[in-house]
Amino acid sequence: MSRKTMVGGATILAALTLWYLLTTVLGVISPGRFPSPADTWTALAQVSGKGYANGVLGEHILRSVMLVSLGFIVAVATGVPLGLWMGWSRRAEAVINPVFLVIRPIPPLAWIPLAILWLGLGDLAKILVIWFAAFVPSVINSYAGVRNLDRTLIEAARMLGTPFTTFVREILLPGASPMIFTGLRLSLQASWTTLVAAELVGAMTGLGRVLNAAQQDLYPGMILVGMIAVTICGWLMTVALGVAEKRALAWNTAAQAGG
Amino acid sequence: MGAIRFDDVGRFYGNKTGGFQALKGVNLEIAEKEFMAVVGPSGCGKTTLLRFVAGFDRPSSGTVSVNGVRVTKPGPERAVVFQQFALMPWKTVRQNIDLGLRNIGVARAEREDRITAVLQLMNLTGHADAYPHQLSGGMQQRVSIARAWVLDPEVLLMDEPFGALDAQTRVVMQEELVRLARRNPRTVMFITHAVEEAVYLADRVAIMARQPGRIKEIIDIRSIRETERWDAHEKIEDVMDLESFVHLRTRIWRSLREEKAMELA
Ligand SMILES: Nc1ncnc2c1ncn2[C@@H]1O[C@H](COP(=O)(O)OP(=O)(O)OP(=O)(O)O)[C@@H](O)[C@H]1O
Ligand SMILES: [Mg+2]
Repeated sequence: MSRKTMVGGATILAALTLWYLLTTVLGVISPGRFPSPADTWTALAQVSGKGYANGVLGEHILRSVMLVSLGFIVAVATGVPLGLWMGWSRRAEAVINPVFLVIRPIPPLAWIPLAILWLGLGDLAKILVIWFAAFVPSVINSYAGVRNLDRTLIEAARMLGTPFTTFVREILLPGASPMIFTGLRLSLQASWTTLVAAELVGAMTGLGRVLNAAQQDLYPGMILVGMIAVTICGWLMTVALGVAEKRALAWNTAAQAGG
Repeated sequence: MGAIRFDDVGRFYGNKTGGFQALKGVNLEIAEKEFMAVVGPSGCGKTTLLRFVAGFDRPSSGTVSVNGVRVTKPGPERAVVFQQFALMPWKTVRQNIDLGLRNIGVARAEREDRITAVLQLMNLTGHADAYPHQLSGGMQQRVSIARAWVLDPEVLLMDEPFGALDAQTRVVMQEELVRLARRNPRTVMFITHAVEEAVYLADRVAIMARQPGRIKEIIDIRSIRETERWDAHEKIEDVMDLESFVHLRTRIWRSLREEKAMELA
């Protein structure tokens, strides 16, 4: 075990001890405001076992992860090509950019009422809102990725007689990919933020629904369980994306390390 | 008919209200299989001329043609070696060299043979699966030359290809290029700041002047190189020591310096 993980482990252990001391032993924090470890454990056992807010923990997680994934994929599948296109074609940029400048400052969460009005409280409305939120970082970073591409590489490709499809696949995409992945990471974060907010407003199941129900039931233990579950899910998906990024950009990380 | 031909080429940057005449009345013919070096003060338009042949830019007056065909766009028959190598960092050496061959539709088996051959020619055997960043600057430039050479282009365009290399690597590259060019001559347009490099490598040296950019003088190296048997010397420093070499170099220096003096006056 490295020194770093040992220090990290020690810090977490200290925090847990402090939590226990403050809530349970010393009683400085009242259990009505922040749950004790025991309360949290009880809540976890309840939601895992007989369930809470229309489902067991696994169902809530599955639902949320599915919606985040769908919204994220739709956003990326539309945002990245649009960003690449805007980066490549001055004309596309001229047409699309003004629209973008108007829509961009609207906070994604402000779309929630409209989305619910259009599509009801179901999954489609949530996917739509996630799409709005996650779309923007994907577009902007893909666009910047193309714009920052070394001009001489483009000239080299043209000199070599590279046909357009080959160019997109082998020059444009890999060249823009470090920025594209930055966009994907931001999009993923935005997807989680937005989903939880959308589920808070209206959902049958999902982690946001757990949080909402727990708040109405004045149940701090369950609130904490929901928060931890959201954090872990988001973190795991970020890690998965990081692994994909590392694979796709092996040439780049190596280039940076090697100078 | 020259392989590369500039006919009364001019280039103006700016608009109607004002601008800058970068090139004016450039006439130059580079014969088939001729190695032409172009020297001149910074900003005289050397790169601009080369980019016309490559098809990256167009003159605002006059024509640039290769083998009698007017240049309109870039293409693999006019291969470019860039000063900054311009290798795709995400492609291995082999993939970088392969791209052009695939684009011109060479069958897989032949591609492999040609890549193997060019890697050997450029002393790169054993580095086929390395990424550019794993190679030294000199090796990267060899890959860039290999990528151009493998296409068997009608003309080879090199814009200060050794400018980014350290002095020792530069010498090695110059010697290798001479071996390559003498063994299998190509039509080459080679831009450089280094007068020695031009005299050592080229058949003829075109000297340019500034404001507006134009060809001032063309010096033929071939007859002297042959009568003085430069190519009998293997090392560049031996050639550079020869009286005939020094004489030519000085002559070109003078010509360039006159240019500077006139600017100052
Ligand atoms: N896009 C442009 N807009 C305006 N002026 C330009 C442009 N490109 C080149 N020039 C000008 O044209 C002139 C010739 O440039 P060029 O790059 O061809 O010179 P060069 O001989 O290659 O110089 P160097 O030896 O420094 O590489 C320069 O004065 C430059 O400022
Ligand atoms: Mg130049």
